[in-house]
Amino acid sequence: MLDTAFEALKKFDWGSDLRALAPIEDAITAAHGKPETGKEIETRLIAAMKGELSRDAREYVCRKLANVGTAACVPGLAALLVDKESSHMSRFALEQIPAPEAAQALREALPKASGLVKVGIISSLGAKRDAAAVAPLGELLKEGDAAIARAAALALGAIGNVESAAVLQRTLQAGGGPSAIIDALLSCAEALLSSNKLADATAIYKAFAQDHQPRLVRLAANRGLLACASKQT
Amino acid sequence: MSQIKKKSTRRDFLKTTGAAFGVPLIITSSALGNAERPPASDRIVMGGIGIGNMGRGDQGAFLGRKDVQYVALSDVRQEVREKSKAGVDGRYRNADCQTYTDFRELLARPDIDAVHIATPDHWHAIMVIEACRNGKDVYCQKPETLTLREGPLMIAAARRYGRVVSGGSQRVLGDYRKIVDPAWAGEFGTIKSINVSVGPLPQLCNLPAEEMSEKIDWDLWLGPAPWAPYNSKRCSGSFSINGSSWRSFSDYSGGGMTDWGAHHFGGATFICDVRDLQPEEVTYFDDKDGKYLAFRYPNGLTIYHNRPHTGNLHIEGTPGEKLPAKPVPVYKGDGEIYGDFIHCVKTRETPFRDIESAVNTAVLAHMGNIAYQLKRSLKWDVARQEFIGDSEANRMTDRARREPWQL
Repeated sequence: MLDTAFEALKKFDWGSDLRALAPIEDAITAAHGKPETGKEIETRLIAAMKGELSRDAREYVCRKLANVGTAACVPGLAALLVDKESSHMSRFALEQIPAPEAAQALREALPKASGLVKVGIISSLGAKRDAAAVAPLGELLKEGDAAIARAAALALGAIGNVESAAVLQRTLQAGGGPSAIIDALLSCAEALLSSNKLADATAIYKAFAQDHQPRLVRLAANRGLLACASKQT
Repeated sequence: MSQIKKKSTRRDFLKTTGAAFGVPLIITSSALGNAERPPASDRIVMGGIGIGNMGRGDQGAFLGRKDVQYVALSDVRQEVREKSKAGVDGRYRNADCQTYTDFRELLARPDIDAVHIATPDHWHAIMVIEACRNGKDVYCQKPETLTLREGPLMIAAARRYGRVVSGGSQRVLGDYRKIVDPAWAGEFGTIKSINVSVGPLPQLCNLPAEEMSEKIDWDLWLGPAPWAPYNSKRCSGSFSINGSSWRSFSDYSGGGMTDWGAHHFGGATFICDVRDLQPEEVTYFDDKDGKYLAFRYPNGLTIYHNRPHTGNLHIEGTPGEKLPAKPVPVYKGDGEIYGDFIHCVKTRETPFRDIESAVNTAVLAHMGNIAYQLKRSLKWDVARQEFIGDSEANRMTDRARREPWQL
């Protein structure tokens, strides 16, 4: 059954009957708690990805690697990362693979990518809350491409640690960076507050509670200061 | 795009950009108000995003309110934009309603106080969060989330900026009062369980490419979802959950589980007064009677899904026990769920279907979809928002968004 399904995958395209691939789905579900079986399926998916596949079939493989992929499939996915057509589905898998190699592949693709593809890679690093990406993302805050700078700010906000907050603060104080930095810093403050780093959170909120800040930001900052105060008591 | 606005008022906006946006600067008798309608300065200025089936209904409800001034709409379909604008302009007898293909332009307008969102589900989190960043209050159609990760981020954005964000199921209160009232009156005693019958699960969409039969911004319709060729069924807004509309497909929806689940699970959590809680585990059953689930709450309640031989919202109480009655929460203001939202926009109170309880409802449906797909029981760490000891399940709590879309 599984052999037949992988054969069907070679000819699979938009409009094909999805039921032909159901054995792959079933095998993945049945592999729970059986690492060797999972490995076997991953190996077959990697092999399939190396062959001639339609865009639809390749995307199906990426969807399944999101479920079972390990470090072993990262090189194959990384090869798709900077290609405009395949980048998203490569990230679809890499975002869900917990092996550190997946985040590393995303970081290594950053300098090779541009435009929207780069924006996507940045957003995946944010979704993975990849602490090792703080420095390269910080550099991107100064990008001339506004979409890239904004994506980097939001990703740093999603990472939400002391280091990402520091990079955002430095850029803001230097008078640069996108307006999304404010939202990103408020996200950082919330993460710091919930991990009991009250001094760090308070410093961010105090800076935004100043009169010259937009009303929406001041309200957010004052709300944050109240939350910090109530945690201290 | 978007983000935090510098200090500016609606008045400044009208002065500086009226011409660019075509906003009239003449003060009309309507703007001054009368016995029938409050002056413009006291009306909630609204826009709508996604004006298809549900959006059209939501728009009509807000447009019919005297305390709302509906000024803008956004939709990826040209025909919808044109028809919808004609309806709004006809109502106000002017030509002022502005239309946008890209919702970000609408959200960037500082004169707009609140928006209603009724796009397909894969857009909800991005739009709600972006609206909050732009200082808008939001009425978002159900189901509010597509993934488990989205919910906490939407709640965080709403709380960060002090926004009123209401979910959209009118049925949670409207349809189930005959069960809600005795439940809150304590007549069932301690409720041990309740059953929800709803489905089916979403499916992957593999429809073939079709020639485009409508004027639609296809890239924007897909948005954060994986690229796919145009097919009229893929993007149909019909209420079908059996393969002929986006509601059936996992890239855009949680299927019947989240679609009608928002109502039924929402009703069940309301009846049992657990709208503020999330289940700690879901047990998967596959026996001679079929497949079904049991969600267990920290207070001992079980919500079943599709329990065999059990009707929808069937309650197992404690015979002979009578609990003290509690007041039933109801809509504030006037005009059902829409009036509740507008009232809360004005007063800054919490709406009946606050985003947090809406997200908690969606959690049941998403957990259920994952348990059925993996064919196993799961434990849920509510504080960390992750499954305990199940890496495969955790991989299903979110998905990468197509560039440039990001939460």
